[in-house]
Amino acid sequence: MTEAAITTPQRLTGRRVRRRPPVLIALCFAFMALVLLMAIAGPMLAPHDPAQQDVLGSLAPPGAEHWLGTDGLGRDVFSRMLAGAQSAILGPLVIALASMVCGNLLGLLAGYRGGIIDSLVMRWVDLMVAIPSLLIIIVVAGALGGGYWLAVGLLIVLTIPTDARVMRAATLEQTPRPYVEAAKTLGVTDGRIMVRHIWPNIAAAAVANSVIIFAGSLVSLAGLSFLGLGAEPGTPDWGQMLSENQPLLFTNPVAIIAPGIAIALTATSVNLVGDWIYEKMSSRGAGR
Amino acid sequence: MSPHTERVPASGPPVLDIEDMRIERAGTGDPIVTALDLRLAAGESVGIVGESGSGKSMSAKALIGLLPEGVVAKGSARFDGENLLDLSERQWRTIRGRQIGMIMQDPFTMLNPVMRCGRILEESLLAQRRLSRAERRAEAIRRLAEVGITDETVVDRYPFQLSGGMRQRVAIAAALARDPQVLIADEPSTALDVVTQREVLALIKRIQEARGMALILITHDLRVAFATCDRIQVLYAGSLVEAGRADDVRERPLHPYSQGLLLSEPPADRRVRQLVAIPGSVPSAAEVRDRCSFESRCRWARQVCRDGEPPLAVVGDDRRSRCVRLPEIEAEMAALLSKAEEREDGPAGSRSDDALIDVVNIQKVFRSGGRTVRAVDDVSISVRAGESVGIVGESGSGKTTLARMLVGLESPTGGEIVIDGIPVRRWRDLTTNERRRLRRTVQTVFQDPYSSLNPMRSVGWALKEAIVTHDRGATGVERRVGELLESVGLSPGYARRRPASLSGGERQRVAIARALAVEPRVLICDEPVSALDMSVQAQILNLLRQIRAERGISCLFITHDLSIVRQASEYLYVMHLGKVVESGPTESVLDHPRDDYTAQLLSSVPRPEEQWLTT
Repeated sequence: MTEAAITTPQRLTGRRVRRRPPVLIALCFAFMALVLLMAIAGPMLAPHDPAQQDVLGSLAPPGAEHWLGTDGLGRDVFSRMLAGAQSAILGPLVIALASMVCGNLLGLLAGYRGGIIDSLVMRWVDLMVAIPSLLIIIVVAGALGGGYWLAVGLLIVLTIPTDARVMRAATLEQTPRPYVEAAKTLGVTDGRIMVRHIWPNIAAAAVANSVIIFAGSLVSLAGLSFLGLGAEPGTPDWGQMLSENQPLLFTNPVAIIAPGIAIALTATSVNLVGDWIYEKMSSRGAGR
Repeated sequence: MSPHTERVPASGPPVLDIEDMRIERAGTGDPIVTALDLRLAAGESVGIVGESGSGKSMSAKALIGLLPEGVVAKGSARFDGENLLDLSERQWRTIRGRQIGMIMQDPFTMLNPVMRCGRILEESLLAQRRLSRAERRAEAIRRLAEVGITDETVVDRYPFQLSGGMRQRVAIAAALARDPQVLIADEPSTALDVVTQREVLALIKRIQEARGMALILITHDLRVAFATCDRIQVLYAGSLVEAGRADDVRERPLHPYSQGLLLSEPPADRRVRQLVAIPGSVPSAAEVRDRCSFESRCRWARQVCRDGEPPLAVVGDDRRSRCVRLPEIEAEMAALLSKAEEREDGPAGSRSDDALIDVVNIQKVFRSGGRTVRAVDDVSISVRAGESVGIVGESGSGKTTLARMLVGLESPTGGEIVIDGIPVRRWRDLTTNERRRLRRTVQTVFQDPYSSLNPMRSVGWALKEAIVTHDRGATGVERRVGELLESVGLSPGYARRRPASLSGGERQRVAIARALAVEPRVLICDEPVSALDMSVQAQILNLLRQIRAERGISCLFITHDLSIVRQASEYLYVMHLGKVVESGPTESVLDHPRDDYTAQLLSSVPRPEEQWLTT
């Protein structure tokens, strides 16, 4: 009987290994890996200096020398795409991680403790969610003069409430479960119960939520750069390129379509992968 | 051996004749039920008894054409000249509800929550002839009266506004609305309190007899089956191991499994020295094909038991058993049975004076939505050193709320708890040191071992945490984890495993080990075995008894089951609607109840005697 019971988990893992991720998810992963590679080694791989201007060679169509042509100042669009991956990935990554840490802590605290702490946190969340976030960013960033890291900071502050709300709901569901009460009666400290007992059981939701935040802030940051409130003018950045190359729509359309597609594809594949990870993770744990 | 499989004539012409029904998963071919034979005459009641995983509920679903997707039934189940197992969904519609009715276990989910009870009943009456609105209502009221609901307002109420027993009555009325010839009742009383259980079973039995209906009662509880049914079939891991008349099976089981099941059920009328537990846990039908399904847990298993699946042999007048070694071991089985009849006298003498827990006039009031509920009302109990105290009561009696207050999961509204000399009014007001001392004095074993262990953490992790929480500089933690596991009858290798890979009994053992890790002086057990299979219950009860003897710790045993409390406690409190209605030494309370409610509880414990359901 012991033997039979021991084989069970192996059988389960065996089944899990056999079910490979679907093709679409594999493609998403491949694309994410490509973007990541660009972000890390982009400037080194670039055939031209992304900042090198060549006014005479401006508005060149895609060709052997310039794969995606050149922009209005004669800069190589392909090299700028490669270099721009870094700011496209780094900001959202910082936002996702920071709001995951803060949002999860606040959510756990509110959901587990309840009472006044819960009321305070949730009223603050309601307040933050009630005011239109883009408006705040435009006003604040406009007043302080903009800048990439300012935009990142503002987006962190604005995404924490949504993360906290989701995590509070997940925590509320776990708190009355007997395993939490068992830990309480053992005398385990509240902090440890939250972090070591409850969190692993809601990690799937936490990860999935952070991935959604990543994709969302990727688009938001690009939008802010487009409005001139994100990356400094001149730096290679997909959103920035979108706004700078806007007038080239009829002369070198590739220069504006390429960053647009890059943003859309990255956001989509990150979202799909996030969904897939959530399903994988929630099939174990106390999700049932 | 000779495969005696000729059929035993039943009392009348069969309404339902099941021959060699097999249920399996369509994709993998894994068996769920390997062979089921059943012959049911009109007016007869047959009990199918089995634990979880025996395939009893799947058999019921097959007989009403509700098998889940991916599960198929083969063989034959003749009803009214047709094989039920071959019917199309269209053909089922003329049979289901009209000729074969079904009552399910959970009255909380089988009634549509957005339909009023009257509407539920009217729906099952439809189609006979056009009735006016008033006529339909009158018919619904008449049907409710038949199941003992005389309150006419029930037709206008929603299921969630009714108690569990009332809901089950409405469900029975709906199932019987079209006068079926066969009624299948799948654990109809399991979710109900003992008193309600008896009422519901008596109702089913009365209607069955009055209408001459055939009844298949599916249950895990042998006592319920003996009290309700004419014949019994015992199912184990998908195969029928024994069949016979209820009285015969009760007096002299002829398969080691049915005997084991019978012995592991704690008797209600006496205390026994030790319950005879079946080791291990129930395997799946797929694991035990091609051999005797009970072989891995049977004390009499030999090589012959592993050589192919034994046939269901006729072993007496209307008796069949699947045990191949029966002729050799019959005498031994009888000896074991009579040995288990031995009675042990409860410990005599007075209680010690050393109170570990003293609860004085405690109260707990819950307020929600403008309503106040007195869950615990002026209750005083005490638990002395080395003693096992039982609290028995039905759901809603406040027994669990009391336990939760003792371990600090709720704060009392009034009154005082004194644990190990520390007075507790509000847990929040205690100092860290006091709280730590309380935790070391009192530990809990929860009801549901499936959710009281963190699913993401290994067994070893959980035990280590319990040790380190109370002994920060603990040394040799790994070794102590191993010792704890061994003390609850598990090998140290279990430390690496996750709860998901353990059976219910194993999980409850781990939960007990976790409670023991802080070396408490009182163990509060809140229904520790009610979520477990009958054959595993006895293991856990024996384990708790052994731990108490070895460590000399006290126990507060909370349960709804009088026979368990008889085995597990020396002093007893009976709770009803938040109050203690009777207390005293367990033996004397149960043998000579003074309070009416205690007497009512006692008479509700299923007994095989004829009068149990009629009184």
